[in-house]
Amino acid sequence: MPNIDSFRQISDVVWEVPTSYKQGMLVPARIYATKKLLEAMDAGVIEQVTNLACLPGIVRNAYAMADAHWGYGFPIGGVAAFDTESGVISPGGVGFEINCGMRLIRTNLSFPEVKSRVRELVDLMFRLVPAGVGVKGTLRITESQFEEVMRYGVKWCAENGLAWADDPSHVEEGGFIKGADPSKVSRQARSRGIDQLGTLGSGNHYLEIQVVDPSRFFEPELARHFGIVEEDQVVVMVHCGSRGFGHQVGSDYLRVFDGAMKRYGISVRDRELACAPFSSKEGKDYYGAMVCAANMAFTNRQVIVQKIREAFSQVFHRDAEALDMHLIYDVCHNVAKVEKHTYDGVNAEVLVHRKGATRSYGPGHHDIPTPYRSIGQPVIIGGSMETGSYLLVGTSKAMEDTFGSTAHGSGRTMSRTAAKREVRGAELQRKMLERGIYVKSATMDGLAEEAGMAYKDISEVVETMDIAGISKKVVALRPVGNIKG
Amino acid sequence: MPFRYLPDIALADIAFEAVSGSVNGLFESSALALSDIMVDPKTVRQGTTRKVKISSDDLDTLLYDFLTEIIVLKDVDSLLFSEAKVRVTADHRSLEATMKGEPIDRERQVLRNDVKAVTMHMFGVRHDHDRWKATVVLDI
Repeated sequence: MPNIDSFRQISDVVWEVPTSYKQGMLVPARIYATKKLLEAMDAGVIEQVTNLACLPGIVRNAYAMADAHWGYGFPIGGVAAFDTESGVISPGGVGFEINCGMRLIRTNLSFPEVKSRVRELVDLMFRLVPAGVGVKGTLRITESQFEEVMRYGVKWCAENGLAWADDPSHVEEGGFIKGADPSKVSRQARSRGIDQLGTLGSGNHYLEIQVVDPSRFFEPELARHFGIVEEDQVVVMVHCGSRGFGHQVGSDYLRVFDGAMKRYGISVRDRELACAPFSSKEGKDYYGAMVCAANMAFTNRQVIVQKIREAFSQVFHRDAEALDMHLIYDVCHNVAKVEKHTYDGVNAEVLVHRKGATRSYGPGHHDIPTPYRSIGQPVIIGGSMETGSYLLVGTSKAMEDTFGSTAHGSGRTMSRTAAKREVRGAELQRKMLERGIYVKSATMDGLAEEAGMAYKDISEVVETMDIAGISKKVVALRPVGNIKG
Repeated sequence: MPFRYLPDIALADIAFEAVSGSVNGLFESSALALSDIMVDPKTVRQGTTRKVKISSDDLDTLLYDFLTEIIVLKDVDSLLFSEAKVRVTADHRSLEATMKGEPIDRERQVLRNDVKAVTMHMFGVRHDHDRWKATVVLDI
């Protein structure tokens, strides 16, 4: 339990760690948590978010969201914005799985229509979407096409018959982040990534059939904007990222920055906070490569969604368009982006790092698709496979307080090894089936590691961010079918 | 046992400590630990041999690069290994390894976690009372 005696309580769910807490802090740290969540947070979160506050060029605050737990350098659930001239970029502030993110697709099916077909759907999607150790995707592209994927993400998909016309506009940044530089991506990263499009990976990544929970349908009018109109409507969620490609980019540049810091006179308290000035050659090179990986991840999720549409179409003998399987939205939760924000009376571009945190733009922002612009950006926060997930909406308060950022998921409370000691995968699978959730996993060990008891209570995480006014709950989504790698 | 898992080090990932009386043995133990995390090595036959040569700046980086290469071989060539014979040079800046294993076989092998990267968290090789030890945290 962290020592919170010196923290200043700003509100019921916002705590400030002053700069006097640790020598070198340039800004305070702000933690979004109920007292219960804060007291349960591992001490590593406080250590890491206050280390983060020491990085050159950081503006306003270092942030830890309600789902925060310690990570490599930045905490998971960490957010920090940097002046683009004087600030740094840090691979640890993005994460190895660059653009790990969430995608949500709707259907016009009700649960009664789907209930008896869940097993068939899950088994079919398990065949269509490779998951697990060393899997390769079915999409075969040339190296030149892969470079186009790195540059244009979902826009490339749309130009190559792999997306519907309105898919790109329903993805953060319009389906690709500008500034990709494939020449900054190593041969190893390219080799790892070129065959991985359309694959799920493993760990906490999943593909899940969900149903609107009528007992937690908070804002039906807002949900209508997203095409969620029925209390038992079926949706599908995808959680995955840039796979080995992004990881190799992260590994490559962690080594580069480790060596580069001395040259720029930067010292950090934690080697995993290795960074370089954003304006430096190393900083620009990493950004160019990171954007390639982010766009690859958008493409990966897009190719997976095409397979999901194919599976539903096959099982229900109707076109996916007839099933209204449009994309609600796709969000990143591991990325660094140049964004324009207003803070301290100034409207300026800053480099926002979100590591295990989600963008939460409020109403009116031009990057929000037109159908949603009046209400705010959809925010998808994923829970464990036992507890389900939430759809929320971004707010003006998020723009004012957290550089338009909110939490991303539950956050782990238990290590993988400890989880496997507590529960057996086969037993967990059986118990989940009894509760109406059919899970198919590439490995039983992987399943046990992802048991719900290894995660924080997502409802409390989501409630915290809602009370803080950072993201507003729209609807809870309960799982009925799940695929794990 | 040439390695042991460290359950309290990493919440979302997997950590191990490898131990050996020699540098060569430490690299072999570390490779086995990495393999053990990805697959039950008893289910990996040794029909494929792959030679690996690495050069790095120092011993820490050499181990980092060696383990990264095993991960890359898993993703690029779909290979998993159950044996590693490693020879590290006297200056600790290069190695040659002979890896024995086979292509991934989802039907027969007992696959475990898809390791994606070696992190620098607590990463290091140390020499402690005639024992060589390495701490490695792997991103899953």
